[in-house]
Order: sequence, then structure tokens, then C-alpha cells
Amino acid sequence: MLLLPKFDYYEPREMSEALKLMSKMKTSAKIIAGGTDVLVNMKKGLISPKSLVNVARISELSDVEPSNGTISIGSGLIVEKLTEFDIIKKKLPILFKAARVLGSPLVRNRATIGGNIVTARPAADLPPALLAVDAKLKLVGAKSSREVSLDKFFIGPGQTVIKPTEILSRIIIKELPPFTGGDYIKLGHRNALEIAIVAVASRITLDSPDGVIKEARIILSAVAPKAIHAVSAEKALKGEKPTAKLFEKVAKLAAGDCAPITDIRGGAEYRRAMVAALTKKTLMNALNEAKGK
Amino acid sequence: MKQIITLTVNKEIYEIAVAPNRTLTQALREDLNLLGTKEGCGIGDCGACTVILDGRPVNSCLILAVQANGSEITTIEGVANGRDLHPLQEAFVEHGAIQCGFCTPGMVLSAKSLIEKNQNPTELEIREALSGNLCRCTGYQKIVEAVKIASENMKK
Repeated sequence: MLLLPKFDYYEPREMSEALKLMSKMKTSAKIIAGGTDVLVNMKKGLISPKSLVNVARISELSDVEPSNGTISIGSGLIVEKLTEFDIIKKKLPILFKAARVLGSPLVRNRATIGGNIVTARPAADLPPALLAVDAKLKLVGAKSSREVSLDKFFIGPGQTVIKPTEILSRIIIKELPPFTGGDYIKLGHRNALEIAIVAVASRITLDSPDGVIKEARIILSAVAPKAIHAVSAEKALKGEKPTAKLFEKVAKLAAGDCAPITDIRGGAEYRRAMVAALTKKTLMNALNEAKGK
Repeated sequence: MKQIITLTVNKEIYEIAVAPNRTLTQALREDLNLLGTKEGCGIGDCGACTVILDGRPVNSCLILAVQANGSEITTIEGVANGRDLHPLQEAFVEHGAIQCGFCTPGMVLSAKSLIEKNQNPTELEIREALSGNLCRCTGYQKIVEAVKIASENMKK
């Protein structure tokens, strides 16, 4: 049996109380919500925080708030609930798709959207989908709070710009324009309980159902120290008429935009080839969704 | 320092003192002596420790007992009605869905959560619902069949 080391445990009910605790204890404390990552790392002996601050009982962290053109998701919302809220299914289907393939049903019932972001794992499922819709994060500190775009949040594996005294409170997404479609595909060795070998999230917005591509995002995951934009591929889509031929060309560019490594889950060359295949596939599905098919 | 927590387990209320570093699996097995909940991997991969917590199946090895304070929990001991087995348990026994039995409590609880939400699960839905529960005897086919049969029996 894997045992947990000893620690002090705090369970604030209010955000202000949690922030006070974190500004006092700083790096000696870790925030816990679902615990599906923190407790695994503690059991494996990778981390041994002196204290755990459980934020799961702060009710304001686990709601979804649609308000004038934005959707604001509390960081403590469990992943399974992302698949249950109608507003997510309708307005952010790409996030719904990513949430459906995270871990197992048992993990999805505990893991939170905030946890899947702040742990900054290179193969995490929600960040690619959130990057594809230009999500912003609200980071709250005891004295001030700030908004950071998700694009500027990750530094590398396990590393982000969040300060030890700050708490991620909300994930904020602007409602997407009409004629927008997206898709997230994760490639694993099996269909469940899997860490991605490669995953791609694509989103395109057309200027009209039969028009040109106004905006494009292609996010590549598990092929770099953090989820990245396929920069040249995104550029090549902009202003163009979407066709299978264009997507073919763009898929090749995306394969050149990433820097995969060889590890136990897959070889670098294989990963690069799969980036091309998944880019094309996600773009085709995104196009169909954008056209309302 | 130990904390006093209240758990409603299988409809009975328990008040226990636990150290913060004890998992819900440990509290159920060692403090409440409910040994039906198993610990396999201890890191949320195998699902042997599955319990239903406030209506959702979860890995109890990745939940601190103090985090579960005030919750309602169903373990495998709470599934049968006295000596009458639950239709799922009956189907598991009847249709050879139990081999060594270590994964069975978790399988039954994940399946029970599914059937309570969805009375007509398809084979794919059953496989998805059980995807966090590993069987090392590799008896998945029989397990999936047993869940399907139980869901049909429960409608009769």
C-alpha cells in the first residue's frame, strides 16, 4: 500500500481565507482540489509539502457563469461536469470533447479544470482545447489579482507563471463568433485511461458558411515541453478558402512546427507523422462544424 | 493532528478521528472494517478502490478521508439488500463475470452508477463506464455481458 507522508491540512471556506494561508505558507504549502495529481505525486515521493490547502469547499470556485459574451468557469469545477453543462456542450464543444477523454470516469469525477491547467503536464487534455479558444486565466493573490492569457501561462513541464501565493480562480472564454468549428483528437495506445502520444486541437472561424478562414488555431500537444501553436500552419490558413488540398499542405507545415521527443509512448518520427494526420483530421471536422454540418 | 469527521457509509452515520494523511480507502478498511473496498495500485489507475461518493463513482485511494467529511458513501457492502444480492451482483455470479474477485467491488459500483443514470446502456456505454476499472484476469467480455443482462433484468 502506498502511504502518504504527514502534512498539516487546511480547509478554507472562503477565498480570502485560502489566500491568507497561501501568502503565509508560500512554497511550503500545496493547493489540493480533486487530488488526482497532488496525491499521486505525494505517494510517489516526488513532492512532500508541509501543508495542504483544500480549496474544494470554496463554493464560488465551482460554478459556470455565462455573462455578456463570455463564459467564466470556476477552477474547481470537476471535469465530468464540463461534459454535463449544456452551455459547454453547445458553446464550447471542443472543451466538451477534451473533457470526455481525460483520464477515466473515476478520475473525471474528482479532477478539476483548474488542476489540469496548473499542473502544466505537456500531455494534459484540457489546455490544448482551451488554447484553441483563446482562454484567459484569473489569478488571484491576497492583495491583487491579474488576468493572464493561457498562451502566456505555461513555461515548461510542471512550470507556469503562477506565484506560490496566487490561486487560479477562473477560466474565462469569450463566446466564439458564428461559423466557428473545432475538434480535439487524442492519440493513445488504447481508448481509455491514456496519456496522449500526440494530441491536436484545431479551431477555425469562417467569414461566412462558404467563405474564407478568418481565424485559425492549431494546438499541438505532447510534442513539445508544453502545448504549442503550429505557427506556420495557422498563418497558412488565414484568409484562405478551406479545401482538403489546403489542409493537406497545412498538416505538413504543422509537422514541421513541433519538436517531439522519443520516449516510452512513441518515437519522434512517428509523433511528427501523427501530428500531420491529426491536424488534417481535426481541421476537416472543424470545417464541418463551422459550416453547421 | 487527528480530526473528527462524519461519514455516512451505506446509510449508517459514523464519526471517526483520522489523521489528514489517511486516505478514504484506509478509513473505510481500517477504521470502519469495511474490507470490500480494495486497494490495488494506490494511484488512481486500477479502480479496485472505487466507491460511490455523493452519487459519483471515484477512486477512494486518491481522496483524503478529511476531504470526504460530511459525504454520503456507498461501498460494495451497501449494494446488496440484506442477504438478497443486487441484480448486478447476481448477474456477475451467474454469468462468470467474477474470476479472482479483486476488481469486482469496483466493477459493480461503477456499473451501478451507470445503470442508475442510464437504464438502457449500450455495450459501448458500459465499456466506457468501466474504463477506469482494470481486471487483471482479463475477464472484460463476461463483465460487460453481465452488466447488460443486469440492466435488462432490472427493467422486468
